[in-house]
Amino acid sequence: MCVLCSEFVMDVHWSDFQIGYSDNSTVVVGDHQRDRRRNRIHRTSLANKILLYYGIKLEDWNGSKYILRDKKGQIEIVNDLGSLWSAVTKLSHKVPDPLDPDLLNYMSKSW
Amino acid sequence: MNNTSNKCPIAIITGCLGSGKTTILSKILKEKEMDRTAVIVNEFGKVGLDHHLLRKVDEKTVLISGGCICCSTREDLEKELTDLLNKKQSGKIPEVNRVVIETTGLADPAPIVFTVLTNPLLKHHFYIENIITTIDAVNGLLHLEKQNEAIKQITVSDKIIITKLDISNPKQVKQLKEKLYALNPSSEIIESRINNINSSILFRSEIKDSSYYINKVKSNIEVDNNSDQNIYSLALSFDSPIDWTAFGLWLSMLLYSHGENILRVKGLIDVGQRGPIVLNGVQHIIHPPQHLNNWPTNDTRSHIVFIMKSVVPEDILNSLKCFSNFLGSEVSIMELYSRT
Repeated sequence: MCVLCSEFVMDVHWSDFQIGYSDNSTVVVGDHQRDRRRNRIHRTSLANKILLYYGIKLEDWNGSKYILRDKKGQIEIVNDLGSLWSAVTKLSHKVPDPLDPDLLNYMSKSW
Repeated sequence: MNNTSNKCPIAIITGCLGSGKTTILSKILKEKEMDRTAVIVNEFGKVGLDHHLLRKVDEKTVLISGGCICCSTREDLEKELTDLLNKKQSGKIPEVNRVVIETTGLADPAPIVFTVLTNPLLKHHFYIENIITTIDAVNGLLHLEKQNEAIKQITVSDKIIITKLDISNPKQVKQLKEKLYALNPSSEIIESRINNINSSILFRSEIKDSSYYINKVKSNIEVDNNSDQNIYSLALSFDSPIDWTAFGLWLSMLLYSHGENILRVKGLIDVGQRGPIVLNGVQHIIHPPQHLNNWPTNDTRSHIVFIMKSVVPEDILNSLKCFSNFLGSEVSIMELYSRT
């Protein structure tokens, strides 16, 4: 449950499972928050490298949501990578495809 | 497979009609340590013939009515497992510590995995330990040619048991093994003998065996072309640790656009920590990644096996190459060959 917007988040996306804490039997509230925030920022900056191709930008919102914006000011709110790509499709009218030659060309050039 | 300590493991047994699912199951269920195992049999048609063979487990056997899991509703299985959980927790049935689901010969195991991993109640109480497919040494090749379901079952399975070895000749077995290996290089192939079929096949943690699977993927790249059904398998390795966040972005994007055609993703991924991450996915469904404390062998390179339909392996490879700076690791190619 998201305490801010009372949205019921039922699924934890596979990419959001905590990696690196093998013994997480006891969870202390507020534990690993710094790592979590760091991971989210890292993910946002990485995602933006791909999303730039689609003219879209991803932002972390208070560590609880991500906000996708296109250049026309349209906004989509996403929870995780599971809903990110469909939101990208909605904004850019393109299906993000890692096998797309144009995207690949862009990716190999931009690095 | 995360936090498995208090979750109940589920083994799924699948395989073509007459390939020996029930024979193997009834043999395993006779073992003493299996007496706390609930068995869910999923019969095709109204008459549960196989059900009567599973005498030892009569009380706990739940027969799902109305045909096969995936073509009717998955709610049946959902209900059975929820019911099992209710009875277990209210003490109506003795403690159940394992569940075996036997599917029909035509069933697609993916919906079962999907049900267990996404149901809000079930996912906290159960996890899929293994998917085991039985295949008949005599008719196996024929099944694989004629039935798409058989191929699907092979590609999603963690372990493949070859049955009816006593009435087959070694040449058939060899051909079958080659075919199975081509379809699913990540799977463990077991030849069923009198002594080696026991409960550990169903419920042995497979991670301990991954040295087996790593050894099998000897060359870094292996492309297998199965022209009839457009099924390809591709085994890759990476030379340095992968950025897990970046890989998550890449894979989720791939699954978003091609999920239905990515039949299987399986591997051990080096993320720059002491142990690897176990990645296991069937189509759109990725099991919760598990972080191991140590590598199973001395080989600490990342290995990923992709099994896909209508997606050309070269495309995946090319994509990973273009994303190599993004992922922080190069896909290394030693050899590229195809077998038909």
